[in-house]
Amino acid sequence: MNEILRLEEVSFIYSKGTPFEKVALNKVSLSFEKGKITGLIGHTGSGKSTLVNLLNGLYKPTEGRVYLDGVDIWENPKEISKVRYRVGLVMQYPEYQLFDESVREDIAFAPKNLGLTEGETAERVAEAAHFAGLSEELLEKSPFELSGGQKRRAAIAGIMAMRPEVLVLDEPAAGLDPRGRREILGGLRQYAEAVGASVILVSHSMEDMAHYCDNVIVMNRGEVYLSGEVGEIFSRSEELSRVSLDVPAISRIARELAKSGFELSGELYTVDGVYDAIIKYLGEDKR
Amino acid sequence: MISDITLGQFFPGYSTLHKLDPRTKLILSVAFIVAVFFANSPVSFLGLLIGVLVLVKLSRISFSVVFKGIKPIIIILIFTALINVFLTDGAGEPLVDFWIIEIYTEGIVRAVFMALRVIILIIGTSILLTYTTSPIALTDGIESLLSPLKKIGVPVHTFAMMMSIALRFIPTLVEETEKIMNAQKSRGADFTSGGLIKRARALIPILIPLFVSSFKRAEELATAMECRCYRGDKNRTKLVKLEYKSRDYIWFCAVALFVTAIILLATLPYSIGYSGRLLEIIFYKI
Repeated sequence: MNEILRLEEVSFIYSKGTPFEKVALNKVSLSFEKGKITGLIGHTGSGKSTLVNLLNGLYKPTEGRVYLDGVDIWENPKEISKVRYRVGLVMQYPEYQLFDESVREDIAFAPKNLGLTEGETAERVAEAAHFAGLSEELLEKSPFELSGGQKRRAAIAGIMAMRPEVLVLDEPAAGLDPRGRREILGGLRQYAEAVGASVILVSHSMEDMAHYCDNVIVMNRGEVYLSGEVGEIFSRSEELSRVSLDVPAISRIARELAKSGFELSGELYTVDGVYDAIIKYLGEDKR
Repeated sequence: MISDITLGQFFPGYSTLHKLDPRTKLILSVAFIVAVFFANSPVSFLGLLIGVLVLVKLSRISFSVVFKGIKPIIIILIFTALINVFLTDGAGEPLVDFWIIEIYTEGIVRAVFMALRVIILIIGTSILLTYTTSPIALTDGIESLLSPLKKIGVPVHTFAMMMSIALRFIPTLVEETEKIMNAQKSRGADFTSGGLIKRARALIPILIPLFVSSFKRAEELATAMECRCYRGDKNRTKLVKLEYKSRDYIWFCAVALFVTAIILLATLPYSIGYSGRLLEIIFYKI
C-alpha cells in the first residue's frame, strides 16, 4: 500500500455542548497516498481548514480516527508533537510565523526543535531552500526585508525543513501574482517526488488544481462531496456546479467545442492538454 | 484555549442593558464600584451578589460566558486569598497554629471578602460596560462625560479614540496569538515543557511575529483613517447623538437606591452596636 494518511469517519464539532455548537466536519473518510499531490477544494465554511488542522493534531477529532502510517495519531496524546513533525502544516498566510534574525536561522527553527545536529540542520535548510526556490543570498537576509512572495516561500521552506512525510498547505498561493504562484506550486511536485511525501494542497483555484494535482477532493458542508483523479472530477462539471464550484475555464471551452461538433479527447482540463487535443483533432481531420 | 478569554469583549444584543445610554452605564459603574468598596459585612455582600445576578439576568448573557470571563484571574485570586489567610493577624485564638503557620478567623473572612469583592467588581463592570456596550458607544460615552475637560486643553477625543482602538484590538490580538502559536507548534515549538528559562525562551517565536504584525496593523489603521480624512474631533459630527431617555432616569434611581442600601447594610451592624455610645458621645459633647 502506498497510503500514508487515512481518516476514518472523522467528525469535528466546534464548542460542543454550548449554544455556539457548530458541526464543521461530519463523518469524513479519506485516504492520501505517498508521492501524490491531492487538491482539497470547497467553499468557505465547507470544513477545509478544520480538516487541515485535524491532520497534524492541532485539533482532536470529536469522533473518528486519524491514522498516520497505520497508527492512530491520538493513541498517545503526549506524543502528538511527534506527529506534527511528520505531518507538516503550512497555514494560511504563513508569513507571520517568521521571527528569526535571518531566513536561514528561521528555516533552521524546525530542524533544531527536532534535535538534529548542526550538519544535518544545514543540509535540511539547503534542501528546503532549494524546493522553495530561495537563493543563497536571500538566506542571509532578515525575513522582514523580503518581499511578500519571498516571505511566503521562506515560511514554506520552514516547514519543508522538517522533511515531513505529509505536507499540507492551506492556500499557499493566496494573494500572490501568477509568477509567485507558479514558483511556489511548482516546487511542490519536486518535493513530493524527491521525498516521496504526500502533498495536500488546499486551494480555491480550479486552474491550480488542474495543473498541479493528481487527485482532487471536493468538500461541501463538512462532508466529502466528490473525490477522485483530476480528470475524473473535472469531467463531472454538473455536479461541481451544483455546489457552486466551477471547472477550469479551459474545460468549459473544450466542452463548448464538443457541443459544436469538435470531438476532442485527452486531458481536457489544462491549457496544454486542450492544446494537444486540438492539434490531434485537426491532424486527424486533415487525413 | 486563549480564545476563551471573554474579558473585554462585546456581545451584541437587545436587552435593557444594551439599550441604556453609555454615559448612564459609565456613571452607574462608578456608583457600583463605590458600593463594592463599601461592602464589608456578609449581608452587604449578599446584597451585592443579588445585584450582580440581576444584572447578568437582565443583560441576557449566559452565565457560562460570564464565568469564563473571570477564569483567567482565578489563579491570582487564589494566590492573594492565600496570602490574606496566612498573613492576617487576628485578635482571638488562631484557628490553626502549626509550626510558623497561624490562621485566624479574621484572615479567612478577609480573604473571602477580598475574592468576592474582585469577582463582583469584574462581573458587574463587565456586564454593565464591555459586554453590553459596543466599543464605539463606550468611547462616545467617555468622550461626552469628559468633554468639560476640553476647556482646559485636555485632548479628550484623542484619548477616547485611543481607548476604543485598544479595546477593539483585544480579540484580534488574541486570535492572532493563537494563530502564531499554532504555526510555531507545527514547526515543533514546545511551550509546555522545560524550566522557567526554557519556557520564556519559547515565547520569542510568538512575541516577535506578534509585535511585527501589531506595528504593521497600527500603521495600516493610521493610513486607513487618514485616507478617510480623520483629523480628530475638529468639526466632527456624530451619527448617533447621545440622549438620556426615561429608561436612563429609571436606572439612575434604581442604582442610587441599591448603592444606598448596600452602604446602609455595610454600616448598619456597627450603627446598631454603637448607636447607644454614639448618642452618649454626642450628648456629652453638647
